[in-house]
Amino acid sequence: MNLFASKDDLIRWIGELLKEHIVIAPVQVQEQTLFQPISKAEEVVFDFNNTTLSPKGWFLPPTETLFSVQKDDGKVELVPTQVERDAVIFGLHPCDARGIALMDKPFLEEPSDTLYRERRNRTALIGLACRQAQPECFCTSMGSAPDDPSNVDILLTEVEDGYIVQVVTEKGKTLLPKGLAEYKGKVPAPPELKAVPTREVISAMRELFNDPYWEQVADRCLHCNICAYVCPTCYCFDMRDYADKGKVERVRSWESCQSPGFSLTAGGYDPRTTKGERLRQRFYHKLFYFPEQFQDVACVGCGRCVRDCPVNIDIREVISNLQQVTEAKSGS
Amino acid sequence: MGLESPFVPYLATLKTAIQLTPDIKLLNVELEDPDIRANFDYKPGQFALLSAFGEGEAPFGIVSLSLQKDGLEFAVRRIGTVTRALQELEPGDTLGVRGPFGNCFPLEDYVRKNIIVIGGGIGMAPLRPVINRILERRNDYKELLIINGARTPQDLVFQPEFPAWMKAPGTKLELTVDRGDEDWKGRVALVPDVVKELAPSPDSAIAIICGPPIMIRFTLARLRDLGFKDNQIVTTLEAKMKCGLGKCARCNLGEKYVCQDGPVFTLEQISQFLEQP
Repeated sequence: MNLFASKDDLIRWIGELLKEHIVIAPVQVQEQTLFQPISKAEEVVFDFNNTTLSPKGWFLPPTETLFSVQKDDGKVELVPTQVERDAVIFGLHPCDARGIALMDKPFLEEPSDTLYRERRNRTALIGLACRQAQPECFCTSMGSAPDDPSNVDILLTEVEDGYIVQVVTEKGKTLLPKGLAEYKGKVPAPPELKAVPTREVISAMRELFNDPYWEQVADRCLHCNICAYVCPTCYCFDMRDYADKGKVERVRSWESCQSPGFSLTAGGYDPRTTKGERLRQRFYHKLFYFPEQFQDVACVGCGRCVRDCPVNIDIREVISNLQQVTEAKSGS
Repeated sequence: MGLESPFVPYLATLKTAIQLTPDIKLLNVELEDPDIRANFDYKPGQFALLSAFGEGEAPFGIVSLSLQKDGLEFAVRRIGTVTRALQELEPGDTLGVRGPFGNCFPLEDYVRKNIIVIGGGIGMAPLRPVINRILERRNDYKELLIINGARTPQDLVFQPEFPAWMKAPGTKLELTVDRGDEDWKGRVALVPDVVKELAPSPDSAIAIICGPPIMIRFTLARLRDLGFKDNQIVTTLEAKMKCGLGKCARCNLGEKYVCQDGPVFTLEQISQFLEQP
């Protein structure tokens, strides 16, 4: 059953949620829309295109302490980071919710990442369906849709005078405010998106690995890493120790396979020394290795990498080009 | 309640540190928790991540044979900040251990075969438990040929064990160096050339190799010249590793994660990876 909430209902509801939870929601920070913990409901932005960054950083923070090293009388103790409070991510789009569902696969697989798992268990997702698509959007080619409820606990859909509230999970039910009326109107149709031929390309990727295409497309790559930084499913990380004034911490931070030196060993050996090899790694991890391992493509079609790449390397175009390469190969 | 984080190492104490070569030390460490110590089983070829707290963590092959027999030993070559910090630890100091990780050399499958162990430099480290396991169960295997190369005579790693290896029945230790010195009476030759010269037979044989990539590349070519098939050649891959859990994706190579699927692979397996090391 769908319920209805006016915008005032939503604001009151967020206020209620804030009493017991950390609420992470899109807020306006200068020119960026970012997911951040809010202190009052009025901060939330409802009308936004894709946020600058996905909310993945709530589960896998850009940098976080995994444990701290405490020394007491020469005796060493390691104190792991704990998750202190329940949280709600409010207003994430279906593509970003799918991004989280995909991140679950490596991080919840045994041996699971306990910190990630604890945050995931203690966080509810209240999604917001997209009424408009951006030019870079292609979620329908990547297993999701602008109105996809499958990876959230509650899905909101904007209608003329408020929001349809669709409860998806039991966890979602426990978060609902009291007194919402049933919604009996029509559910608006989602925006239509242009299809990208993902499946055809994936099935051909084993043959495309050594194609000169990779060096060609990587020619203009600046290895700035923005694609990985904004991606909801890029999850490579680094671990380092930081010691400051006797305080020692092991810190995990985001890393990218596009960085020179990402795969460089202490002995000086590196399996990927060219830009083409590194760019190929990114696309193969998303479109081939991840599907081999977890039966899903590690891309949600949010289009952020398309939007932000300074040299217009466009994953949709790469997929289409690969399709052409495949057709040319099979035709010859 | 504390989380059992897979990123939090076991605490361990450095028991002894022996200088093996000018830049390699053999560290013997003892896990502090007796329950963890009792359950820390490992096999030749597996590795662990050692922490020098304040400097970081790095992967090392376990070079001892079993916890009960030898404790837990690592050959650490000074090559960066973590290895320097590990070498500077004094007996009694605390370090961290995560592991054991990865697969192992399937030595049970090599029973009744001739074994050729080929190691270069610090590449001998993961091969030491292979040699010692074969010597421990000497009757299970046929001839054992060890070819051990290093840059100079003083860089040959496990010299205190050479007499035992040489004395063992059916076992030959062939040493070679890139550059000799005044006292060196042995070979001055590259490992692949020694393989060519000694020409071990591929009949019922397994070659186990570890060393710098350039040594491996040319040694593989010589072994193939001698008729070794790719399923008779086994190596342990070097890869950048951070988490050891198949998550951080640093050691991802084609469809494989070296830390979980490896590090031990036959050449036949490696040749099927989409991305070649």
